[in-house]
Amino acid sequence: MSGSRRRFSSHLVLSQAAPFIGFLASMVVLVAIVIFMRESPVKAVEAVYKFALSNAARLGAVLSISIPYYLSGLSIAIAFRAGVFNIGNEGQYFVGGLTGALAGIYLPMPAPLHIPVVVIAAMLGGALWALVPAVLKAARGISEVITTIMFNNIGLALVNYLINGPLSGMAKGVSLEPQTRKILPTALFGKLNGFFRSLGWKVPDYVYLDYSLVVAIVMGAVIWFLLFRTRQGFEIRAVGTSTDVSRYAGIKVQRVQVGAFLMSGAIAGLIGLQEIFAIRGFYTYNIASGLGFDGIAISLIAQNHPVGVVFSSLLFGFLKQAGYGLQLSTKVPNSVTYAIQGLMILFIVAINAVVVRAVRSMRRKELG
Amino acid sequence: MADALLELREITKQFPGVTANDHVSFDLRAGEVHALVGENGAGKTTLMKILYGLYRPDSGSVSVEGKEIAVRGPRDAIARGIGMVHQHFMLFPPFSVLENIVIGEEAHRAGVLSVNAQRSRIQAIMEENGITVPVDARVEELPVGLQQRVEILKILFRGARILIFDEPTAVLTPQESNELFRTFRALTAHGKGVIFITHKLDEVLAVADRITVIRQGKIVRTMDRAGVTKPMIAELMVGKPVLMEVDRPAREAGSVVLEVRDLKVRSPRGLTAVDGMSFAVKAGEIYGIAGVEGNGQSELVHAIAEGVEIESGEILLGGVNARRWSVRKRRENGIAHIPEDRLKYGLLLPFSLATNLTLGRHNKAPFVTRLQTVNSRAVRDSARRIIEQFDIRTPSETTPANALSGGNQQKAVVARELSAEPRLLVASQPTRGVDIGATEFIHRQIMKARTEGKAVLLVSADLDELLSLSDRIGVIFKGRIIREFTHEEAVREEVGLAMTGGKAGEEKAG
Amino acid sequence: MDFLLYFLAKGLEISSPIAFAALGGVYSERAGVVNIALEGIMGVTALTLVWGAITFQSVWVGLLVAVLTGVLVSLIHAVVTITFRVDHVVSGVAINVFGIGLSRFLCQSFFGAETQSKINPFLFPKLLGVNSLAFWLIPAVLLAWFVLYKTVFGLRLRSVGENPEAADTLGVNVIAMRYAGVLISGALCGIASATLFADKWITGMVAGRGFIALAAVIFGRWDPLGAVLASLLFGYADTFRIIFESRIPIPSQFVQMFPYVLAVVVLAGIVGRSRAPAWDGKNYEKGED
Repeated sequence: MSGSRRRFSSHLVLSQAAPFIGFLASMVVLVAIVIFMRESPVKAVEAVYKFALSNAARLGAVLSISIPYYLSGLSIAIAFRAGVFNIGNEGQYFVGGLTGALAGIYLPMPAPLHIPVVVIAAMLGGALWALVPAVLKAARGISEVITTIMFNNIGLALVNYLINGPLSGMAKGVSLEPQTRKILPTALFGKLNGFFRSLGWKVPDYVYLDYSLVVAIVMGAVIWFLLFRTRQGFEIRAVGTSTDVSRYAGIKVQRVQVGAFLMSGAIAGLIGLQEIFAIRGFYTYNIASGLGFDGIAISLIAQNHPVGVVFSSLLFGFLKQAGYGLQLSTKVPNSVTYAIQGLMILFIVAINAVVVRAVRSMRRKELG
Repeated sequence: MADALLELREITKQFPGVTANDHVSFDLRAGEVHALVGENGAGKTTLMKILYGLYRPDSGSVSVEGKEIAVRGPRDAIARGIGMVHQHFMLFPPFSVLENIVIGEEAHRAGVLSVNAQRSRIQAIMEENGITVPVDARVEELPVGLQQRVEILKILFRGARILIFDEPTAVLTPQESNELFRTFRALTAHGKGVIFITHKLDEVLAVADRITVIRQGKIVRTMDRAGVTKPMIAELMVGKPVLMEVDRPAREAGSVVLEVRDLKVRSPRGLTAVDGMSFAVKAGEIYGIAGVEGNGQSELVHAIAEGVEIESGEILLGGVNARRWSVRKRRENGIAHIPEDRLKYGLLLPFSLATNLTLGRHNKAPFVTRLQTVNSRAVRDSARRIIEQFDIRTPSETTPANALSGGNQQKAVVARELSAEPRLLVASQPTRGVDIGATEFIHRQIMKARTEGKAVLLVSADLDELLSLSDRIGVIFKGRIIREFTHEEAVREEVGLAMTGGKAGEEKAG
Repeated sequence: MDFLLYFLAKGLEISSPIAFAALGGVYSERAGVVNIALEGIMGVTALTLVWGAITFQSVWVGLLVAVLTGVLVSLIHAVVTITFRVDHVVSGVAINVFGIGLSRFLCQSFFGAETQSKINPFLFPKLLGVNSLAFWLIPAVLLAWFVLYKTVFGLRLRSVGENPEAADTLGVNVIAMRYAGVLISGALCGIASATLFADKWITGMVAGRGFIALAAVIFGRWDPLGAVLASLLFGYADTFRIIFESRIPIPSQFVQMFPYVLAVVVLAGIVGRSRAPAWDGKNYEKGED
């Protein structure tokens, strides 16, 4: 029995190898680009290290950037696990960010209450924006890939209108950027930097390690527990594996898919928390875009696992900083990191497909 | 002595862990029907794949009309006159018969199709071999028997002289099978050779000139038809005297568990597949449904087990109207279902065997706590018990289901459904694609369920299985039960005749 | 009358990026490969079109470069899905991400700015006031229809999408046909981006048209004619919007939403399941039992 157990752990290692191999492969490509641009690889590595990893402030910045990435990746992970291709987390995060901001602006209440309320409001907004595509999929079998993408565009336009119109908070001539009124102080997200400093990690105040970190950790733990320790999570994974078998086993497939879809939208609604409640203090549709699509890349690299997403979101945070570092100190432009991200996913999913098949045939051979 | 049309000499093919063909020698004469008989996994399919160019033999030779050849692929095989009619048709349903026949050999002018020119050739082939099919009809509109003819025309069109038929009667009525055998005769009359792969011994005796038995990769015997009996062939196939009948303890059936009244069910395409069916199954009884595939069995099973596509009628479980129940409710009330396709419906392949053994009850205690968390210890303990009880061969309960062999996968599905202690077991093709050892085991388990007072609805394309297990047999034809037989009344020929829709004493038209 | 002619021509111009991309989508899916990366591919080809036109001082060379780029990027999708057998949607998403990154990177490398290129003065000749390349749509759809239904290649391509195993046994080269379908869709994306705006590349200029093209494929029931008609529906609706925008009393953002809302409504309103090619989106493995 121990012999077979050893074999099975080697299978496990192999099947987790894809992300690492893929990462390495894309790093090779990056180095190749660096050389191609007649830049010294050593200088490039130095630049990256200096900007991304060299001290507490830098590492803190990586962590800070990773928080919205994590929430984005997490929102995709739960959807993809159910076989729901929610490409709409971009729109869901804009709408969710707005509803959260509105709760922060127009619902005065004491601080200990206000923040959870704001978080819930953001989740509701995100889930709301996933509702129509979810229902269309469940009721009429319409591909959610297309509907969610359409809703991204619709969402952006809608938010644009609301910010420029009825929800505008601009004082005349004060700022150029269409935005809402300021969020009440009771809803603003405070910083945790003091807490980290007391632990010995000297993170300066200009790095944003705020309450959204707590939200991310809590959501990650909740989703992990849901997926791997509860019956509902099992049903989600079953539906994502085979709707036919799930139906046969009595699982209410439609219900599970809609549930996962809405949950995905809800978490997507939280992506903007850091920027809206910690950094800016108001809502504008100029908040960072593209985080939604990045989430898809992040989750795919992590094979849609809540714990893996921790690593891939940190990786993306690191890559973003690395890109800036390269741009500042070398001839290599920042945009190369975008291209590398895409390549990395391709490498990883391709290698993963090969590895999964190889492991399966190895298992078959062993069992005769 | 007729010349050998085809000769395989000392063909050996190994896969990791198994020798599929072990120095196999086989020949086909012009003008003969040569049956190749063997169990699942005996090596017939591998041998034919080698002939057809899908595999390359490790050693040995293939010769056509005395000349040694190397078959490099299906295209090459056909070019050499070797054609295969597969068990699962290789057709393009939305395309016409004409298109289906000519794809790959289309007549064209500079790339533009001009297939009308090929019509006359097809007509000639149809006449020569006594096969007729409407050439412009879409294949998806044709009944199964005609679709098979399209397959035959495909290979004749390409000049096949060696025709290999892989389990061709699995989807045909006995009448259509007889017509197929007549086609064999017409083909061989023109000097062609037919290799007929089957496990149906009656058919072998009805049509073969010579019979070759293959077992565990080796040829056991090649013999002339004269003097051969079914038990002889069966023994050669299996290597030991085969128990043809299962032990049947006498039993009084109990009260009615399942009653179906005037049930109408749609097929996935929207046509009426079950057309006002009525029958009942009692506790402690095995009710078999006999019929050619495509007469509504599949839809009936899904309607009873899952409640899908029901147009009208009633389904009563223990007297209670169960028709609109969800799958979950059906399971909670004692319906278990062995699906006809275990890979598509019955198992979550990447998940562990232990998890798969809880499917259907995964949301109930003891597998789930009151807080809805999964109790993995209970799952594993239960799995270990079931694995031992049903003798499922696996390294451990945590092995993923896709690593098990087909027979063990099916055993796992059967084990799971029976462990749920159902009132009604709906078993659909329970031993399809399963080796003889596992088949015997599953039959015994079904019998045990009957003895324990469960009601069993058994749907199978294997008439022998139905005849040996069922207390009563209902023959399904065009969506209705047209005749019922008790175990004593059920005689192969009578049941087979009923399956075609014919009645006793009626002469069927030529 | 003049106005009507202009409206028809303008509508054709606005529809043609969607329509060409949709034609590509039809070919890819009929061969059995789902290609949701049309959007990302169009983004890259639009950039290389501008680059090629400026560098070689000819918009036709630019078009050639765009088509080649489209083929190359779609080749990645083909390799990943056909040879590595990755899930088609996953690969499509990955290519979209890669395409966005690649186009920004190339723009930076060619033009020194990440989000927009230099202006390209070499443009297609105008006809009836619009990009004349748009009129190529008419012969293109006829050619596409003819090739798909009346040639050996088209019949074999469709057979691979319906039943690759059967096609394989009949000697059809399944892999070659699938590659062909995907590469054709890449090439058509190149042409599609050329009918978009040839004078400049700006990040995000494709604006979801690649995805609307997919909706058009479904709405058009995977038929070249149907897909193009559906694309015309979207395109003319958008044209209507553009021309009358200032006269509509609705806030501009709602008017902007219109093509996307229309796509959702159209998809939601499809009565009954339309029938995709039977093996669309599924991977085919030779010899696996």
